[in-house]
Amino acid sequence: MALLELDGVTRRYGALVALDQVVMKVEQGEVRAVIGPNGAGKTTLFNVITGTVRPSDGLIRFANQPISGLASHQICRLGISRTFQITALFPEMSARENARLAAQARHRRRWQPFGGTRIFKEAETRADAALEQLGLAAIADRPAGLLSHGDQRLLEVAMAMAQQPRVLLLDEPTQGLSVEETEQAVETLARFLQASQMTVLLVEHDMEVVFRLAHRITVLHRGAVIADGAPDQVKADPGVQAAYLGGFA
Amino acid sequence: MNGVTRLLVWIAVALTLVAAPLGLPPFAMTLLTEAVILGLFAMSLDLMFGYTRLVSFGHAAAYGFGAYACGWMLLHTGMPLLFAVFAAALLTGVMAIGVGWMCTLATGVSFSMLTLAFAQLLYAISFKWTSVTGGSDGLAGIPRTIGPFGFAALSTKTGFYYLALACLVGGFLLCRALVRSPFGAVLRGIRENEAKTTALGYNVRLYKITVVAVSYTLGGLAGALYAPFAGFANTELLFWLLSGQVLIMVIVGGSGTLIGPVLGAAFFMLMEHQLSALTEAWALYFGLIFIAFVLFAPQGIWGLATARLPRNPAGP
Repeated sequence: MALLELDGVTRRYGALVALDQVVMKVEQGEVRAVIGPNGAGKTTLFNVITGTVRPSDGLIRFANQPISGLASHQICRLGISRTFQITALFPEMSARENARLAAQARHRRRWQPFGGTRIFKEAETRADAALEQLGLAAIADRPAGLLSHGDQRLLEVAMAMAQQPRVLLLDEPTQGLSVEETEQAVETLARFLQASQMTVLLVEHDMEVVFRLAHRITVLHRGAVIADGAPDQVKADPGVQAAYLGGFA
Repeated sequence: MNGVTRLLVWIAVALTLVAAPLGLPPFAMTLLTEAVILGLFAMSLDLMFGYTRLVSFGHAAAYGFGAYACGWMLLHTGMPLLFAVFAAALLTGVMAIGVGWMCTLATGVSFSMLTLAFAQLLYAISFKWTSVTGGSDGLAGIPRTIGPFGFAALSTKTGFYYLALACLVGGFLLCRALVRSPFGAVLRGIRENEAKTTALGYNVRLYKITVVAVSYTLGGLAGALYAPFAGFANTELLFWLLSGQVLIMVIVGGSGTLIGPVLGAAFFMLMEHQLSALTEAWALYFGLIFIAFVLFAPQGIWGLATARLPRNPAGP
């Protein structure tokens, strides 16, 4: 049984169809990339899965439970964590505090209005483990706003991982990075994905990154799925080449 | 300044405040009591403004509501002073759950405008609902009812000062525990990046409504102290001018520090007192001081006072 399942998911903005009858199944432990030209609906897909945007039609199931109507914080608590295309951090807090606040969101008594030494400590243990996984332990005490752009992107992944999610949604993790930074970040991500066996849904523009990280690729074009399969299959698909790759392969 | 000196400074400040009635003339005690009450009011706004970046343009709603509620209870029921003050504060908090629910439907400037609109609504009601609020005359001759359980000392000038001081200290300890707790960590997250805090799985709106309710409760407590202190409650306590002044106290004192706004309130009172003796246009000169603070010392009085000290890792 697939861990995350989309069935006929459609999102309309007036006359514009941002997502058109998307059908998709992500298996446990799979790294799935979603690619497509600008405006293909990739980020809308993330927003619909995480509940920031309601689907106009269709059904989303997570671990066999329909989640399409839930509020985004409820969906998040079921075990879906995401990163953003544009870096979203708490710039004045240290990297560790960023990850700690992320981990705290999964704690039963995250809202406790007094004391909280134990809650902080438990959250910090998870935070430190996640920072370690992404190779950020050395810069844990620096304010997030002062980190290099590459480290900021990785910190976002660490924050998501500190929540011990069942599915990780990565929205263009190498967005805005230089060539060298991208190489480093992808190297770290690949090692981390290999070690963690995490189920990942990945939106990415950079084809090299996609082919390096993904087990399977879904291609969106004008909101609709036009191809779905192993990287080599997708690369060879003439429809995909016409729509997107532009002779890349 | 290490931990020991810090402690010594605190003890000195506490002793001075406790001993103040022994050395100060009555009129100075009146000013000091009012400064303590306003300090509590400004500190309550700091929870929203400084810690959650919820900019309220209508915090007078809390103060005025607390003052009218307490004044009305003291005038029309036999309720003792202590009970009326805390009941009025709680009522303000309950009212604030509704205000918070409504205002947090919006964010940013719209949130601020809704808080302002709500305060102006109460202001209009205080004018029109004459049978309860006394209209433009307000409530006058509010007694400090002693009640059946004693506490006669509270109705004296000195006793009332200690009551106000106890409320300020209690409010401070409560706020400090709140902002250092896991709850407070989420508030800080909302302040720095609200969308991200939501994405992490926090029900941001619930946190905001809660902090509005706590902030209004303490603001209502300050107002509830003011009514029996001054002996009256009038429409000015709900007017937008007061909402603006308390924002200025928070910013001049140093937002996000709890203590700063208390100093800001004292500074505001001092300036009002000193400058208004010299010129009728004292507000103009205070405005210049305010601008100077915003431009050159955005951390406020507390920021200036602690700038050269090693930072307390936990923060206030």
